[in-house]
Amino acid sequence: MHRDSVLTPMTSSIILHIEDKANYFGLVLKTKSEGLVMGRPEGTSSGQQASASGGPGAKPILLREPCDLCDGNPKCARICPTQCIMVVD
Amino acid sequence: MNLRNGKVGFIDLSSGESGEEEVEEIALGEDSLKGILAKHGQDSVILGTGLLTGSLIPASCAGTVTVGNKTMPLMGHAGVELKLSGFDFVVLKGKASKWGYVWIRDGIIEFVETPEIVQLNSWQRTDKIRSDQGDSKIQVLSGGPWCDDGRPAAQLVVNHWGGEDKVSVGAGFGARKLAAVAFRGMGELELADPETHFEGSVEMMQSHLSRLGPNKGLRSYYEGAVGEGFDGLVHRHIGCYSCPFPCRTFLKTEEDSKEFRHMHKEPGYLHFDVSALEAAARAGLSARDSIRALARCAQAGAEPATIITASAARSSHADVAAIEALLADPGDLPPASKGNFELSFSRSADYEECLGLGLCPRYWGKVGLDVRAITKCAESALGRMIE
Repeated sequence: MHRDSVLTPMTSSIILHIEDKANYFGLVLKTKSEGLVMGRPEGTSSGQQASASGGPGAKPILLREPCDLCDGNPKCARICPTQCIMVVD
Repeated sequence: MNLRNGKVGFIDLSSGESGEEEVEEIALGEDSLKGILAKHGQDSVILGTGLLTGSLIPASCAGTVTVGNKTMPLMGHAGVELKLSGFDFVVLKGKASKWGYVWIRDGIIEFVETPEIVQLNSWQRTDKIRSDQGDSKIQVLSGGPWCDDGRPAAQLVVNHWGGEDKVSVGAGFGARKLAAVAFRGMGELELADPETHFEGSVEMMQSHLSRLGPNKGLRSYYEGAVGEGFDGLVHRHIGCYSCPFPCRTFLKTEEDSKEFRHMHKEPGYLHFDVSALEAAARAGLSARDSIRALARCAQAGAEPATIITASAARSSHADVAAIEALLADPGDLPPASKGNFELSFSRSADYEECLGLGLCPRYWGKVGLDVRAITKCAESALGRMIE
Protein backbone atom coordinates (compact mmCIF):
# COMPACT_ATOMS: atom_id res chain seq x y z
CA MET A 1 0.00 0.00 0.00
CA HIS A 2 1.03 3.59 -0.28
CA ARG A 3 3.95 4.20 2.06
CA ASP A 4 2.92 1.91 4.82
CA SER A 5 3.02 -1.78 5.32
CA VAL A 6 2.55 -4.30 8.03
CA LEU A 7 5.30 -5.67 10.19
CA THR A 8 5.39 -9.39 9.68
CA PRO A 9 7.54 -11.06 12.31
CA MET A 10 10.29 -13.06 10.69
CA THR A 11 9.11 -16.38 11.96
CA SER A 12 5.49 -15.89 10.99
CA SER A 13 4.21 -18.44 8.49
CA ILE A 14 1.33 -16.23 7.40
CA ILE A 15 1.56 -12.91 5.57
CA LEU A 16 -0.64 -10.52 3.67
CA HIS A 17 -1.05 -10.76 -0.08
CA ILE A 18 -1.76 -7.52 -1.93
CA GLU A 19 -2.13 -6.77 -5.61
CA ASP A 20 -2.76 -3.53 -7.42
CA LYS A 21 -6.48 -4.07 -7.68
CA ALA A 22 -9.31 -2.25 -6.04
CA ASN A 23 -10.60 -3.71 -2.76
CA TYR A 24 -8.51 -6.82 -3.17
CA PHE A 25 -6.22 -8.61 -0.77
CA GLY A 26 -5.64 -11.98 0.75
CA LEU A 27 -3.32 -14.13 2.80
CA VAL A 28 -0.41 -16.43 2.05
CA LEU A 29 0.26 -19.38 4.34
CA LYS A 30 3.39 -21.50 4.13
CA THR A 31 2.30 -25.07 4.78
CA LYS A 32 4.26 -28.28 5.23
CA SER A 33 2.19 -30.31 2.81
CA GLU A 34 1.29 -27.94 -0.01
CA GLY A 35 3.99 -25.30 0.13
CA LEU A 36 2.61 -21.81 -0.26
CA VAL A 37 -1.18 -21.62 -0.12
CA MET A 38 -2.70 -18.35 -1.22
CA GLY A 39 -6.18 -17.33 -0.12
CA ARG A 40 -7.74 -14.67 -2.34
CA PRO A 41 -11.27 -13.44 -3.05
CA GLU A 42 -11.57 -15.87 -5.96
CA GLY A 43 -10.54 -18.86 -3.84
CA THR A 44 -7.44 -20.68 -2.68
CA SER A 45 -4.52 -21.84 -4.77
CA SER A 46 -1.14 -23.39 -4.10
CA GLY A 47 2.18 -24.20 -5.70
CA GLN A 48 3.10 -20.75 -6.90
CA GLN A 49 5.26 -17.82 -5.95
CA ALA A 50 3.55 -15.39 -3.64
CA SER A 51 3.76 -11.66 -4.02
CA ALA A 52 3.27 -10.36 -0.54
CA SER A 53 3.22 -7.06 1.23
CA GLY A 54 6.40 -7.66 3.17
CA GLY A 55 7.06 -4.89 5.62
CA PRO A 56 9.62 -3.77 8.14
CA GLY A 57 11.58 -6.63 9.63
CA ALA A 58 10.21 -8.98 7.03
CA LYS A 59 11.94 -11.91 5.39
CA PRO A 60 10.68 -13.55 2.20
CA ILE A 61 8.15 -16.17 3.20
CA LEU A 62 10.09 -18.86 1.36
CA LEU A 63 12.82 -18.49 4.00
CA ARG A 64 10.43 -18.94 6.88
CA GLU A 65 9.29 -21.97 8.80
CA PRO A 66 6.15 -23.69 7.48
CA CYS A 67 3.01 -23.46 9.59
CA ASP A 68 2.56 -26.29 12.10
CA LEU A 69 -0.79 -24.93 13.31
CA CYS A 70 0.82 -24.44 16.72
CA ASP A 71 -0.19 -27.99 17.62
CA GLY A 72 -3.83 -27.35 16.80
CA ASN A 73 -4.26 -23.94 18.41
CA PRO A 74 -2.91 -21.37 15.92
CA LYS A 75 -1.50 -18.34 17.70
CA CYS A 76 -1.95 -16.02 14.72
CA ALA A 77 -5.71 -16.48 14.98
CA ARG A 78 -5.74 -16.01 18.73
CA ILE A 79 -3.78 -12.76 18.70
CA CYS A 80 -5.54 -11.27 15.65
CA PRO A 81 -7.52 -8.36 17.15
CA THR A 82 -10.04 -8.12 14.32
CA GLN A 83 -10.59 -11.86 13.79
CA CYS A 84 -9.51 -11.51 10.17
CA ILE A 85 -7.59 -14.72 10.76
CA MET A 86 -9.89 -17.55 11.77
CA VAL A 87 -9.47 -21.30 11.99
CA VAL A 88 -12.02 -23.35 10.06
CA ASP A 89 -12.20 -27.07 9.30
CA MET B 1 19.45 -11.21 27.22
CA ASN B 2 15.69 -11.28 26.73
CA LEU B 3 13.97 -8.59 24.67
CA ARG B 4 17.29 -6.76 24.43
CA ASN B 5 20.35 -6.88 22.20
CA GLY B 6 22.65 -5.75 24.99
CA LYS B 7 24.36 -3.29 22.68
CA VAL B 8 24.65 0.47 22.36
CA GLY B 9 25.90 1.57 18.95
CA PHE B 10 27.55 4.92 18.37
CA ILE B 11 28.94 7.01 15.55
CA ASP B 12 30.92 10.23 15.58
CA LEU B 13 29.55 12.33 12.74
CA SER B 14 32.71 14.47 12.74
CA SER B 15 35.02 11.57 11.93
CA GLY B 16 32.63 8.89 10.68
CA GLU B 17 34.05 6.45 13.24
CA SER B 18 31.52 4.04 14.64
CA GLY B 19 31.46 1.24 17.17
CA GLU B 20 29.41 -0.55 19.74
CA GLU B 21 29.62 -1.37 23.39
CA GLU B 22 28.22 -4.30 25.25
CA VAL B 23 25.94 -3.31 28.08
CA GLU B 24 24.87 -5.27 31.10
CA GLU B 25 21.14 -5.85 31.31
CA ILE B 26 20.79 -3.90 34.51
CA ALA B 27 22.15 -0.82 32.75
CA LEU B 28 19.43 -1.05 30.12
CA GLY B 29 16.65 -0.14 32.48
CA GLU B 30 14.54 2.98 32.63
CA ASP B 31 17.47 5.20 33.63
CA SER B 32 19.58 4.02 30.73
CA LEU B 33 19.13 7.20 28.73
CA LYS B 34 20.65 9.35 31.46
CA GLY B 35 23.63 7.05 31.70
CA ILE B 36 24.24 7.10 27.95
CA LEU B 37 23.99 10.88 27.83
CA ALA B 38 26.43 11.17 30.71
CA LYS B 39 28.92 8.92 28.95
CA HIS B 40 28.67 10.22 25.39
CA GLY B 41 27.84 13.85 26.00
CA GLN B 42 24.68 15.74 26.79
CA ASP B 43 24.55 17.13 23.25
CA SER B 44 24.34 13.69 21.63
CA VAL B 45 21.37 12.51 19.62
CA ILE B 46 20.12 9.22 21.03
CA LEU B 47 17.81 6.81 19.28
CA GLY B 48 16.35 4.49 21.87
CA THR B 49 14.07 1.52 22.33
CA GLY B 50 12.00 0.71 25.38
CA LEU B 51 12.34 -2.24 27.71
CA LEU B 52 9.28 -3.94 26.16
CA THR B 53 9.54 -2.61 22.59
CA GLY B 54 8.90 -5.53 20.26
CA SER B 55 7.17 -7.72 22.86
CA LEU B 56 3.64 -9.10 22.44
CA ILE B 57 2.13 -6.71 24.97
CA PRO B 58 -0.48 -4.52 23.25
CA ALA B 59 0.98 -1.41 21.59
CA SER B 60 4.57 -2.26 22.55
CA CYS B 61 5.79 -0.32 19.55
CA ALA B 62 7.46 2.76 20.98
CA GLY B 63 11.00 3.97 20.61
CA THR B 64 12.41 7.43 21.26
CA VAL B 65 14.66 10.08 19.78
CA THR B 66 16.37 12.37 22.29
CA VAL B 67 18.30 15.55 21.68
CA GLY B 68 19.50 17.20 24.87
CA ASN B 69 16.52 17.38 27.21
CA LYS B 70 13.96 16.90 24.44
CA THR B 71 12.50 13.49 23.63
CA MET B 72 10.03 12.55 20.92
CA PRO B 73 8.28 9.19 20.64
CA LEU B 74 9.00 6.93 17.70
CA MET B 75 5.86 5.11 16.65
CA GLY B 76 4.62 2.96 13.78
CA HIS B 77 7.10 0.17 13.14
CA ALA B 78 10.18 2.34 13.59
CA GLY B 79 10.86 1.53 17.24
CA VAL B 80 10.68 -2.21 16.66
CA GLU B 81 12.74 -2.02 13.47
CA LEU B 82 15.43 -0.11 15.37
CA LYS B 83 15.62 -2.90 17.93
CA LEU B 84 15.78 -5.51 15.19
CA SER B 85 18.76 -3.64 13.70
CA GLY B 86 20.83 -5.05 16.55
CA PHE B 87 21.02 -2.11 18.94
CA ASP B 88 18.99 -1.06 21.95
CA PHE B 89 20.30 2.48 21.66
CA VAL B 90 22.22 4.35 18.97
CA VAL B 91 24.24 7.46 19.85
CA LEU B 92 25.03 10.11 17.23
CA LYS B 93 27.85 12.43 18.32
CA GLY B 94 29.57 15.44 16.79
CA LYS B 95 28.72 17.31 13.62
CA ALA B 96 29.28 16.19 10.05
CA SER B 97 31.33 18.33 7.68
CA LYS B 98 28.97 17.60 4.78
CA TRP B 99 25.26 16.84 4.67
CA GLY B 100 24.25 13.21 4.69
CA TYR B 101 22.35 10.54 6.59
CA VAL B 102 23.11 7.83 9.12
CA TRP B 103 22.42 4.31 7.85
CA ILE B 104 21.93 1.57 10.44
CA ARG B 105 21.34 -2.08 9.63
CA ASP B 106 22.13 -5.45 11.14
CA GLY B 107 24.74 -4.23 13.60
CA ILE B 108 26.39 -1.73 11.23
CA ILE B 109 26.29 2.06 11.54
CA GLU B 110 27.70 4.42 8.93
CA PHE B 111 27.36 8.01 7.79
CA VAL B 112 26.53 8.36 4.10
CA GLU B 113 27.66 11.72 2.72
CA THR B 114 24.95 12.97 0.37
CA PRO B 115 25.37 16.72 -0.07
CA GLU B 116 22.59 16.95 -2.65
CA ILE B 117 20.04 15.58 -0.19
CA VAL B 118 19.72 18.94 1.50
CA GLN B 119 17.90 20.26 -1.57
CA LEU B 120 15.11 17.73 -1.08
CA ASN B 121 12.07 17.90 1.14
CA SER B 122 11.47 15.22 3.77
CA TRP B 123 9.36 12.98 1.51
CA GLN B 124 11.89 13.13 -1.30
CA ARG B 125 14.69 12.28 1.16
CA THR B 126 12.83 9.22 2.36
CA ASP B 127 12.16 8.08 -1.18
CA LYS B 128 15.79 8.71 -2.22
CA ILE B 129 17.29 6.76 0.68
CA ARG B 130 15.00 3.80 0.06
CA SER B 131 15.80 3.92 -3.64
CA ASP B 132 19.57 4.32 -3.18
CA GLN B 133 19.72 1.46 -0.67
CA GLY B 134 17.36 -0.67 -2.76
CA ASP B 135 14.87 -1.48 -0.03
CA SER B 136 11.42 0.05 0.26
CA LYS B 137 11.06 -1.26 3.79
CA ILE B 138 13.76 0.96 5.31
CA GLN B 139 12.49 3.11 8.17
CA VAL B 140 13.48 6.75 7.70
CA LEU B 141 13.43 9.62 10.18
CA SER B 142 13.77 12.59 7.93
CA GLY B 143 14.21 16.29 8.35
CA GLY B 144 13.19 18.91 5.85
CA PRO B 145 14.24 22.47 5.05
CA TRP B 146 12.90 23.72 8.37
CA CYS B 147 15.02 21.20 10.26
CA ASP B 148 18.08 22.06 8.18
CA ASP B 149 17.65 25.72 9.11
CA GLY B 150 17.36 24.82 12.80
CA ARG B 151 14.02 26.55 13.19
CA PRO B 152 12.37 26.29 16.64
CA ALA B 153 9.19 24.92 15.05
CA ALA B 154 10.99 22.22 13.04
CA GLN B 155 9.47 18.74 12.92
CA LEU B 156 11.13 15.43 12.16
CA VAL B 157 8.89 13.12 10.13
CA VAL B 158 8.86 9.34 10.40
CA ASN B 159 8.34 7.52 7.09
CA HIS B 160 6.71 10.61 5.55
CA TRP B 161 4.23 11.31 8.34
CA GLY B 162 4.33 13.87 11.12
CA GLY B 163 2.87 13.84 14.61
CA GLU B 164 5.64 12.57 16.85
CA ASP B 165 8.10 15.47 16.96
CA LYS B 166 6.49 18.25 18.97
CA VAL B 167 9.72 19.32 20.66
CA SER B 168 11.81 20.29 17.61
CA VAL B 169 14.12 17.31 17.60
CA GLY B 170 14.36 18.01 13.87
CA ALA B 171 16.29 21.21 14.54
CA GLY B 172 18.86 19.10 16.39
CA PHE B 173 19.33 17.05 13.24
CA GLY B 174 19.92 20.18 11.16
CA ALA B 175 22.50 21.50 13.61
CA ARG B 176 24.59 18.37 12.91
CA LYS B 177 24.19 18.45 9.10
CA LEU B 178 22.10 15.35 9.55
CA ALA B 179 19.43 15.13 6.85
CA ALA B 180 17.97 11.82 8.02
CA VAL B 181 18.51 8.58 9.93
CA ALA B 182 17.58 5.33 8.21
CA PHE B 183 17.48 1.83 9.66
CA ARG B 184 16.56 -1.71 8.76
CA GLY B 185 16.95 -4.84 10.78
CA MET B 186 16.21 -8.51 10.55
CA GLY B 187 17.38 -9.53 13.97
CA GLU B 188 15.49 -11.59 16.49
CA LEU B 189 14.61 -11.05 20.12
CA GLU B 190 14.66 -13.79 22.74
CA LEU B 191 11.82 -14.33 25.21
CA ALA B 192 12.26 -16.09 28.55
CA ASP B 193 8.91 -17.88 28.50
CA PRO B 194 7.22 -17.37 25.11
CA GLU B 195 4.11 -19.40 25.91
CA THR B 196 3.31 -17.58 29.15
CA HIS B 197 4.09 -14.22 27.56
CA PHE B 198 1.82 -15.00 24.61
CA GLU B 199 -1.06 -16.13 26.81
CA GLY B 200 -0.73 -13.09 29.08
CA SER B 201 -0.57 -10.69 26.16
CA VAL B 202 -3.61 -12.18 24.41
CA GLU B 203 -5.59 -12.08 27.63
CA MET B 204 -4.63 -8.44 28.16
CA MET B 205 -5.52 -7.52 24.57
CA GLN B 206 -8.92 -9.21 24.72
CA SER B 207 -9.69 -7.50 28.00
CA HIS B 208 -8.88 -4.14 26.44
CA LEU B 209 -10.88 -4.77 23.27
CA SER B 210 -13.97 -5.85 25.17
CA ARG B 211 -13.93 -2.47 26.92
CA LEU B 212 -12.98 -0.33 23.90
CA GLY B 213 -15.56 -1.63 21.43
CA PRO B 214 -15.23 -1.26 17.65
CA ASN B 215 -12.24 0.69 16.37
CA LYS B 216 -12.78 3.69 14.11
CA GLY B 217 -9.18 4.73 13.66
CA LEU B 218 -8.31 8.27 14.68
CA ARG B 219 -12.00 8.90 15.37
CA SER B 220 -11.75 6.50 18.30
CA TYR B 221 -9.27 8.86 19.93
CA TYR B 222 -10.28 12.28 18.62
CA GLU B 223 -13.89 13.36 18.35
CA GLY B 224 -12.90 16.11 15.92
CA ALA B 225 -12.17 13.48 13.28
CA VAL B 226 -15.88 13.01 12.61
CA GLY B 227 -18.48 14.38 10.31
CA GLU B 228 -19.01 14.29 6.61
CA GLY B 229 -15.79 16.10 5.79
CA PHE B 230 -13.53 13.45 7.28
CA ASP B 231 -15.74 10.41 6.87
CA GLY B 232 -15.89 10.86 3.11
CA LEU B 233 -12.10 10.90 2.82
CA VAL B 234 -11.24 7.89 4.99
CA HIS B 235 -9.37 5.21 3.08
CA ARG B 236 -8.09 2.90 5.80
CA HIS B 237 -7.02 2.61 9.44
CA ILE B 238 -3.53 1.39 10.24
CA GLY B 239 -2.08 0.04 13.45
CA CYS B 240 1.44 0.48 14.74
CA TYR B 241 3.31 -2.68 15.70
CA SER B 242 1.27 -4.77 18.15
CA CYS B 243 -1.56 -2.23 18.41
CA PRO B 244 -5.05 -3.79 18.41
CA PHE B 245 -6.83 -0.41 18.45
CA PRO B 246 -5.26 1.89 15.82
CA CYS B 247 -5.28 5.68 15.84
CA ARG B 248 -3.81 6.12 12.35
CA THR B 249 -6.23 6.94 9.57
CA PHE B 250 -5.21 7.45 5.96
CA LEU B 251 -7.38 10.02 4.20
CA LYS B 252 -7.39 10.52 0.45
CA THR B 253 -7.70 14.01 -0.94
CA GLU B 254 -6.55 13.55 -4.51
CA GLU B 255 -8.63 10.56 -5.60
CA ASP B 256 -11.64 8.46 -4.66
CA SER B 257 -11.24 7.30 -1.07
CA LYS B 258 -13.37 4.25 -1.78
CA GLU B 259 -10.80 2.98 -4.27
CA PHE B 260 -8.46 0.53 -2.57
CA ARG B 261 -5.57 0.97 -5.00
CA HIS B 262 -3.67 4.21 -5.41
CA MET B 263 -3.60 5.90 -8.81
CA HIS B 264 -2.31 9.32 -7.79
CA LYS B 265 1.36 9.71 -6.83
CA GLU B 266 0.42 11.48 -3.60
CA PRO B 267 -3.14 10.32 -2.88
CA GLY B 268 -3.43 11.63 0.66
CA TYR B 269 -1.99 11.69 4.15
CA LEU B 270 -1.78 9.46 7.22
CA HIS B 271 -3.31 11.24 10.19
CA PHE B 272 -2.57 10.75 13.86
CA ASP B 273 -1.63 14.29 14.84
CA VAL B 274 -4.56 15.36 17.02
CA SER B 275 -3.10 18.71 18.09
CA ALA B 276 -2.53 19.74 14.47
CA LEU B 277 -6.08 18.78 13.49
CA GLU B 278 -7.41 20.77 16.43
CA ALA B 279 -5.42 23.78 15.24
CA ALA B 280 -6.81 23.29 11.74
CA ALA B 281 -10.37 23.16 13.10
CA ARG B 282 -9.81 26.35 15.09
CA ALA B 283 -8.46 28.03 11.97
CA GLY B 284 -11.59 27.07 10.06
CA LEU B 285 -9.86 24.79 7.55
CA SER B 286 -12.02 22.19 5.83
CA ALA B 287 -11.16 18.51 6.31
CA ARG B 288 -9.63 18.37 2.84
CA ASP B 289 -7.54 21.50 3.37
CA SER B 290 -6.43 20.28 6.80
CA ILE B 291 -5.04 17.16 5.21
CA ARG B 292 -3.26 19.10 2.50
CA ALA B 293 -1.85 21.56 5.04
CA LEU B 294 -0.44 18.77 7.20
CA ALA B 295 1.13 17.16 4.15
CA ARG B 296 2.86 20.42 3.16
CA CYS B 297 4.16 20.87 6.70
CA ALA B 298 5.50 17.31 6.80
CA GLN B 299 7.34 17.83 3.52
CA ALA B 300 8.91 21.03 4.84
CA GLY B 301 9.79 19.46 8.20
CA ALA B 302 7.66 22.02 10.02
CA GLU B 303 5.36 21.52 13.01
CA PRO B 304 1.81 21.94 11.63
CA ALA B 305 -0.04 23.24 14.70
CA THR B 306 2.41 26.12 14.84
CA ILE B 307 2.16 26.85 11.13
CA ILE B 308 -1.63 26.68 10.93
CA THR B 309 -2.08 28.81 14.05
CA ALA B 310 0.37 31.44 12.79
CA SER B 311 -1.20 31.45 9.35
CA ALA B 312 -4.65 32.02 10.82
CA ALA B 313 -3.31 34.84 12.98
CA ARG B 314 -1.71 36.59 10.01
CA SER B 315 -4.65 36.50 7.65
CA SER B 316 -8.39 36.69 8.00
CA HIS B 317 -8.86 33.53 5.94
CA ALA B 318 -6.55 30.56 6.52
CA ASP B 319 -6.10 28.31 3.51
CA VAL B 320 -3.50 26.04 1.97
CA ALA B 321 -2.03 28.84 -0.16
CA ALA B 322 -1.46 31.03 2.89
CA ILE B 323 0.14 28.11 4.73
CA GLU B 324 2.45 27.42 1.79
CA ALA B 325 3.45 31.09 1.72
CA LEU B 326 4.24 30.98 5.42
CA LEU B 327 6.30 27.81 5.04
CA ALA B 328 8.39 29.56 2.40
CA ASP B 329 8.82 32.77 4.37
CA PRO B 330 8.18 32.15 8.06
CA GLY B 331 10.12 34.92 9.72
CA ASP B 332 10.63 34.43 13.43
CA LEU B 333 8.04 31.85 14.42
CA PRO B 334 8.09 30.31 17.91
CA PRO B 335 6.67 26.79 18.42
CA ALA B 336 3.03 26.72 19.51
CA SER B 337 2.22 23.04 19.91
CA LYS B 338 1.64 21.65 23.39
CA GLY B 339 2.23 18.10 22.23
CA ASN B 340 0.42 15.19 20.65
CA PHE B 341 1.24 11.86 22.30
CA GLU B 342 2.48 13.91 25.27
CA LEU B 343 -1.12 14.84 26.05
CA SER B 344 -2.21 11.22 26.48
CA PHE B 345 -1.74 11.42 30.24
CA SER B 346 -2.50 14.23 32.68
CA ARG B 347 0.77 13.47 34.52
CA SER B 348 4.00 13.77 32.56
CA ALA B 349 5.53 11.08 34.79
CA ASP B 350 3.00 8.55 33.44
CA TYR B 351 3.83 9.55 29.87
CA GLU B 352 7.55 9.13 30.50
CA GLU B 353 7.12 5.80 32.24
CA CYS B 354 4.96 4.49 29.41
CA LEU B 355 7.45 5.61 26.77
CA GLY B 356 10.39 4.24 28.75
CA LEU B 357 8.72 0.85 28.76
CA GLY B 358 8.35 1.03 24.98
CA LEU B 359 4.55 1.29 25.10
CA CYS B 360 2.39 3.68 23.10
CA PRO B 361 1.24 6.52 25.39
CA ARG B 362 -1.92 7.12 23.35
CA TYR B 363 -3.14 3.53 23.57
CA TRP B 364 -2.21 3.08 27.21
CA GLY B 365 -3.59 6.48 28.10
CA LYS B 366 -6.92 5.27 26.73
CA VAL B 367 -7.02 1.82 28.34
CA GLY B 368 -5.32 2.98 31.55
CA LEU B 369 -1.69 2.36 32.40
CA ASP B 370 -2.02 -0.75 34.53
CA VAL B 371 1.60 -1.17 35.58
CA ARG B 372 0.87 -4.23 37.71
CA ALA B 373 -0.69 -6.15 34.80
CA ILE B 374 2.05 -5.00 32.42
CA THR B 375 4.75 -6.02 34.87
CA LYS B 376 3.31 -9.51 35.30
CA CYS B 377 3.19 -10.04 31.54
CA ALA B 378 6.58 -8.41 30.98
CA GLU B 379 8.37 -10.62 33.49
CA SER B 380 7.46 -13.71 31.51
CA ALA B 381 9.22 -12.17 28.54
CA LEU B 382 12.20 -10.75 30.40
CA GLY B 383 12.74 -13.66 32.75
CA ARG B 384 13.40 -11.39 35.67
CA MET B 385 11.59 -9.15 38.09
CA ILE B 386 11.00 -5.51 37.21
CA GLU B 387 11.44 -3.03 40.01
